[in-house]
Amino acid sequence: MLGAHVEVHPKKTHYKMKRARSGGDEDAPRQNGSAGRRTEDQHPGDAEGEGSDFGPADLQNNENDPSLRREIRSKYRELISSVQQNREDMLSPSNNKLTEVLEEANQLFKDVRQAREAALDAQLLVMATDLGKEKAGQLFSEGTAFDPAAFTEHLLSFMGINRLEEGDEEQQNGSTFGGYLPQDAWHRLSRRAECCFRTAPSFHYMMGSFHAEPPPPKQRIERQRKALTTEAKRTVPTQLKKMETSHQEATEKEVERILGCLKRYYEDDPASPISYFEFVIDPKSFARTVENIFHTSFLIRDDLARLYLNDEKLPCIAHVEEGEVEAEGSGRRKQCIMSLCEETWKEIIDAFDIQESMIPPPEVDDE
Amino acid sequence: MTQRNRLSHTQSASQSRRQPSTSAAQEEDDDTIFTQPSSTQVQKGLEKLTAAEVERKVAEVVQYFLVKDQKKVPVRRAELVKNVVKEYRNVYPEIIKRTARTLDQVFGLKLVEIDSKNHMYILVNNLEPADGASPINSPTSPKMGLLFVILSVVFMKGGVVRENLIWNTLKKLRVDPGEKHEEFGDVKRLVTDEFVRQRYLEYARIPHTEPIEHEFRWGQRADAEVSKAKILEFLGQLFEQEPQSWSQQYKEAHSSQASSSSQR
Repeated sequence: MLGAHVEVHPKKTHYKMKRARSGGDEDAPRQNGSAGRRTEDQHPGDAEGEGSDFGPADLQNNENDPSLRREIRSKYRELISSVQQNREDMLSPSNNKLTEVLEEANQLFKDVRQAREAALDAQLLVMATDLGKEKAGQLFSEGTAFDPAAFTEHLLSFMGINRLEEGDEEQQNGSTFGGYLPQDAWHRLSRRAECCFRTAPSFHYMMGSFHAEPPPPKQRIERQRKALTTEAKRTVPTQLKKMETSHQEATEKEVERILGCLKRYYEDDPASPISYFEFVIDPKSFARTVENIFHTSFLIRDDLARLYLNDEKLPCIAHVEEGEVEAEGSGRRKQCIMSLCEETWKEIIDAFDIQESMIPPPEVDDE
Repeated sequence: MTQRNRLSHTQSASQSRRQPSTSAAQEEDDDTIFTQPSSTQVQKGLEKLTAAEVERKVAEVVQYFLVKDQKKVPVRRAELVKNVVKEYRNVYPEIIKRTARTLDQVFGLKLVEIDSKNHMYILVNNLEPADGASPINSPTSPKMGLLFVILSVVFMKGGVVRENLIWNTLKKLRVDPGEKHEEFGDVKRLVTDEFVRQRYLEYARIPHTEPIEHEFRWGQRADAEVSKAKILEFLGQLFEQEPQSWSQQYKEAHSSQASSSSQR
């Protein structure tokens, strides 16, 4: 603290009252330990009347030249903006820029006669005291002061900066730099800095996680759903119709096809009976067998074929010629239910030694 | 969180117990609904539940913490109760106690309530970090380097710094808050929003400044997670000087480290 005052004060001793106020401002932290901005609260009562900022004396003063006032204001504004822009520079312990600004303001204040200019002066003063406080803060520790500029230089070296034009860089005041950082500069720093952190390692899903997106607005969902259902309503009936017809057609086609097979076998050799099992069974597919039985049953129902037991009590199938039905007489109708499971299917294949199905499997049509 | 919110926080924190926090007002309301049950209430509640039921709930809470920790945003008690604990809220203290135990014993993580007013929890690694770089070549986020720079400057500058100093420092490191950085994206957002939400940093308006200025402080997560002594050690290496030469900071680092390590 003391160091700060030694640094800031000497040049102030010859200041006019206004600067004495500024000194008072910087004294405040030392007195009560709080670092407040007290400028506004302080009574300039102990000042000699000469320069009291807001005093009535100003208003009575005749010096009311607007152009002079404008000039003063613009100079103050210039000063304020230069302080704002060069803030970091002014804080550097190695120069006296802050004092220079204060002296400049002191010169300006000589001509200040009215509140408007004085307000600007006060604004500058607030900034200056603030800077003074911060500057003082740099000196408060008995140890080494921390210099952020040096810190960045060290960091850049650590991150492996590649300096191309060493000489120029020093001249630049911060907006443009020489040299460029390698790709992994920040990774390198992170890896080293990691040990300062006790960060809990966060777990991640091995296969990644889905990107949870906020649910789309409700209205859209509803509209989509509606559109979907109406479309479904439109397509389902047509699909069903098509399936039914095609199914029926398929069955009829199959029945016709099997009748064709039966006819062909019959015509090839009308004398020899056709074993029902050999006719119907497909040794390669149980499902085909069941289908064949199903379709053949239509032939029998429609009196296009007949089943009978031969001398060995084995079922045989025969084609029925047109007109034969009449002769036989339709009075004696018989029904029978046959069960077939995969076991018996296999047994029959063995017993009859069926190698190939008599009904060729239907060509796979592209339905 | 908006600055306005933060500001109102600092202004009204002293005058009311029910403090507006940095988070949305809606969450606040949730928080007021939930009142911490008394120990006898907890006892009664536990009697009605089987051990397996409690264990299952604890497991859910543990998982919630682990998943939430991926983003490093603190978990608020209100959201925890609302989303996971639910009808077990009457035995909340028991649940959180067992959760902390599981996290500690199984995962080596410490459950820390960083804000006992707003009831916010974070997870901190409870295991001693290995010396030097971690043996596993885990992909570290470059953001940690950036955070390290900011925290270091704040710490070395006595705990509070104006944002300008941070921005200038970063600019010298080729990170311009006004430009999109290839590694960090929107730097200003990352620093003043993401790091703040994660509670690594506090970013508060300085009163009575024209134009508006902000200052940075360490956030509660940084206090719990980051070792000032280790930072000094690293800085000592960078500056090629003894960490003790920054006597003020050294004192602080080693006094705060002592107190926080006694908690551990």
